[in-house]
Amino acid sequence: MKKRLLAVVLSVAMVASMLVGCGGSAETAGGAAGGASGEVQEITWMFWDDLNATEDLISKGYKDVVDRFNKDYEGKYHVTVVTTNLEEYYPKLNALVAAGETPDCFIVSPGPNLDVYVDPGVAADLTSYIKADGWIDTFNGGEGAFSQQTYDGKIYAVPLNIAAACVFYNTEMFETAGITEMPTDWNGFLGACQKLQDAGYTPLTISAGTAWCLSMLAGYLCDSEGVDTAAIDAGTAHWTDANVVNAANKLVEVSQFFQPTAAGDTNDVATANFYNEEAAMLIQGSWAIGQINGANPAFEDKCGVFAFPGTDGRVIAKSDSIAMSAKTEHPEAVIAFMKYFTDDTAQKYTAEVGGKIPVTKVEYDASVAPAQLAYVMDVFGNAKSTFGFYNESLATTEAGAAFDDAMVSIYLGTPVEEGLQAVEDFYVNNVWK
Amino acid sequence: MSNKAKESSIGSKVTKTLIYIFLSFLAVVYLLPLVWVLYVSVKDDKTLFVSPWEMPERLMIENYTFAWTAGKLGTATLNSAIVCFVTLILCLIIGSMAAFAIGRMRWKLASPMMTYFLTGMMIPVHCILIPLFVRFAKINLTNSLVGLILPYLTLSLPLTIFIMTGFFKGLPNELFESACIDGCSIYKIFTHIAFPLSKTGLFVTGLMSFVANWNELLLAMVFISDDEMKTLPVSLSKFVGPYNTNYSQMFAAIVIAIIPTIVVYCCFSNSIVDGLTQGAVKG
Amino acid sequence: MDKLFRDKKAIIIFVAPAFLLFTFVLFIPICQSVYYSFCEYNALTSPEFIGIENYRQLFTVDKTMKIAIKNSMFFLVFSVVTQLIAGLILAALLTNIKKGRNFFKNVYYLPCVLSSAALGLLWMFIFTPKLGINQILAEFGIEGPLWLMDTKGFIILPMWVIAFVALWQYVGQSMMLYMAQISGISTTLYEASYIDGCTKPQAFRYITLPLIRPMMATAMSLNAIGSLKFFDLIFNMTEGGPNHMTEVLATHLYMQGFKYFKYGYASAIGVVLLIICLIVTFIINKFVKVDNYEM
Repeated sequence: MKKRLLAVVLSVAMVASMLVGCGGSAETAGGAAGGASGEVQEITWMFWDDLNATEDLISKGYKDVVDRFNKDYEGKYHVTVVTTNLEEYYPKLNALVAAGETPDCFIVSPGPNLDVYVDPGVAADLTSYIKADGWIDTFNGGEGAFSQQTYDGKIYAVPLNIAAACVFYNTEMFETAGITEMPTDWNGFLGACQKLQDAGYTPLTISAGTAWCLSMLAGYLCDSEGVDTAAIDAGTAHWTDANVVNAANKLVEVSQFFQPTAAGDTNDVATANFYNEEAAMLIQGSWAIGQINGANPAFEDKCGVFAFPGTDGRVIAKSDSIAMSAKTEHPEAVIAFMKYFTDDTAQKYTAEVGGKIPVTKVEYDASVAPAQLAYVMDVFGNAKSTFGFYNESLATTEAGAAFDDAMVSIYLGTPVEEGLQAVEDFYVNNVWK
Repeated sequence: MSNKAKESSIGSKVTKTLIYIFLSFLAVVYLLPLVWVLYVSVKDDKTLFVSPWEMPERLMIENYTFAWTAGKLGTATLNSAIVCFVTLILCLIIGSMAAFAIGRMRWKLASPMMTYFLTGMMIPVHCILIPLFVRFAKINLTNSLVGLILPYLTLSLPLTIFIMTGFFKGLPNELFESACIDGCSIYKIFTHIAFPLSKTGLFVTGLMSFVANWNELLLAMVFISDDEMKTLPVSLSKFVGPYNTNYSQMFAAIVIAIIPTIVVYCCFSNSIVDGLTQGAVKG
Repeated sequence: MDKLFRDKKAIIIFVAPAFLLFTFVLFIPICQSVYYSFCEYNALTSPEFIGIENYRQLFTVDKTMKIAIKNSMFFLVFSVVTQLIAGLILAALLTNIKKGRNFFKNVYYLPCVLSSAALGLLWMFIFTPKLGINQILAEFGIEGPLWLMDTKGFIILPMWVIAFVALWQYVGQSMMLYMAQISGISTTLYEASYIDGCTKPQAFRYITLPLIRPMMATAMSLNAIGSLKFFDLIFNMTEGGPNHMTEVLATHLYMQGFKYFKYGYASAIGVVLLIICLIVTFIINKFVKVDNYEM
């Protein structure tokens, strides 16, 4: 009898503890949902940086947007932010989609990253909302502002700001090296590098440890050689074509001017080399302005910007975009929230504090904004056209990574033809099937 | 005879010294990187990149206050503690029960059952993440600590069962025979003989599963959205920004996260030492 | 005695909680993921059955898979061998000293309790040419290699670096397991052997080693499985780069599954990993035969 009792107690205790655990959680979950619903429309927004712990100026601006929205619409709408870091952002978003719990709106990079959500109908068509009430007219260039977010004439996401990839340079070092005119073509650029090197400076700081940094330069070189990514995606042009080979050779040519540790330096280290005045030039997106000025405020006056030379007026640009779930129950709340990102307050902040290019026609105080922004705006304003980061504008995200990897391996010493053949092989096996 | 003993004692003294020199050198190799973390955590990002090995001019204690408040590390530590301790206790009980049955009891399916549990150890968590998440979302177990405890418990079970089975197998047969003669029930043999005698094993496995769960990031990241429910590793990752990382603050947060582990570890390791000496005395 | 240990009901009661939990939380998802491995599935749309296409690609087309298998095998052999030797040596040394035993043991075990993600970040920092070891080497006029970016050789330098960091981090675990087992060995055995004129190394060879053999099998299997699943350190030190040269099975699985959303394909890698794990554990248990010695 005693035996049996002990046995029963042992097993019941186990099962009971588990049941109690589960039951408890169900209750609290239910309670929370019950309390939150009611009159207020609850929406969730998913973002790839923590809004409280971040040092990123753009992320801090987003926090203001959220706070303003929740205050202004108190009692009507309320947005809760779900954050992860960038590394786990897409895994988590996809898990949520797979479980049928897509957040009402989420941030996403345009290009193949957005394709992934548009194709299976996860992201909602926003065209009618954007065209209503003159919202579209507030954007710079009207419909043109949405070119990267448009699929078959339908708009699936709203851009929040634009960053352009430029050459940041140390004006003092340029002066000492005797460079008076900014280079406008490839030979001029190499000549400037040579002069800087002769003057005892490291001409260029770049990160090959963080592959996309090197790939940004490679993207410019490809574009200047007239590489047509659309034709490559369609299979009418190839990665082994002469123009790509030329671009890769240019990369090898310029690599003699990189800092000696470029192969192992991460993005953070490469950028630090620049603002700590250990190298004369940095090729980077304009989001780096905040980081540069934040880390070394005294450097702002010495920092100049020019467009990457020899690209025939084309500039690499990237925007953060926000998409809406096709299954959201509160589209009005989501649209109202999105409008807070593109209102004057938010866009002014984008320019004056964040150092990114606003997407709307907002007027901002250029004297408050970081000095570099004006230069970036010049570069962007003078650009004849823009194109995306190579790793975000090829056929798939994996194709972009294959390109990045090939460029890093070529820099590390793989023969150009062999390196490009690897991308070509990837396309044969994955894209042109 | 006495001469020989003397010689060997001199020899052993030399060996002893050599052993100590070797062990001390190794200890330095182990401690230096950790000291370095501590040291980076009181620098600022700018000087970190200029002179990584130089002493900071001023201790940046604010790295800690910022990490603590902005990362909400207080709540996170509490959450982690709840999840890990509940998991630890359940895991030791359930795991050693199963291990006892597999390692000590006589049944045909014992070894297939062991293989069955072992497969769990071989699957990377990434493989089951999506199916598990979809399943848990259906029964409202996401965004709750219970929803973390269940997979953590289950993922810790195979290791616990694996190691504990080894320990139970290693216990002397005579103990069980004499218990049988005394008329103990099988349950009493487990609770009064096998379980207490495997203390060392329990501490080692307990420590391993506790540590694994304390540091687990991916499941926690995907399963928990609510800021109030986040665990420590998730909170640490808050300092990794999309374009740049706040290294010194992140390292400050890492130090904060390490301290409870070390405290727990010290408590446990002393118990292990007790267990070790007990075993020796008994032998 | 025999009857008591054959009690079916008791067996069921003992095993049931673990069995049920394991089945529902782990085994069913594993089965699901085996099914996904035969599907084209990106987690956003429903899975579509495509037969063995994923496996065909994995073994015929995927170049990274070849590198990953090579690296994983290197890692497996390296960590099983070095952890066994280093773990045993440390355990033997530590059981033979009295003063400071606890201190040394705690120090060597310390990295095991720290998050390998954080440690990976730390080591990445230390091996960054601008910041870490190379700066110190430069003081002595030595130009350090590109620890994490060098791509020459069959097993490239970064893999060796990562392997040694892994040894640094996990050897404490093997050491602990061996020490725990050694402590269970009766001291009378040693005393008897010393009376018979055994030296300490001899006692280690003829008493300790045979008696801790079951634990050796356990620890080696643990190391083997752990090294095949190895992820955190690599991911945080190199992310599989440069150009996938440091990719192992687990990182390849993660990249395919979560970076590029080929969830079905990633599941196929997972299945391959599972099969390799099963084979390796089988081999270890076959060759490090577990005899039941009386202690």
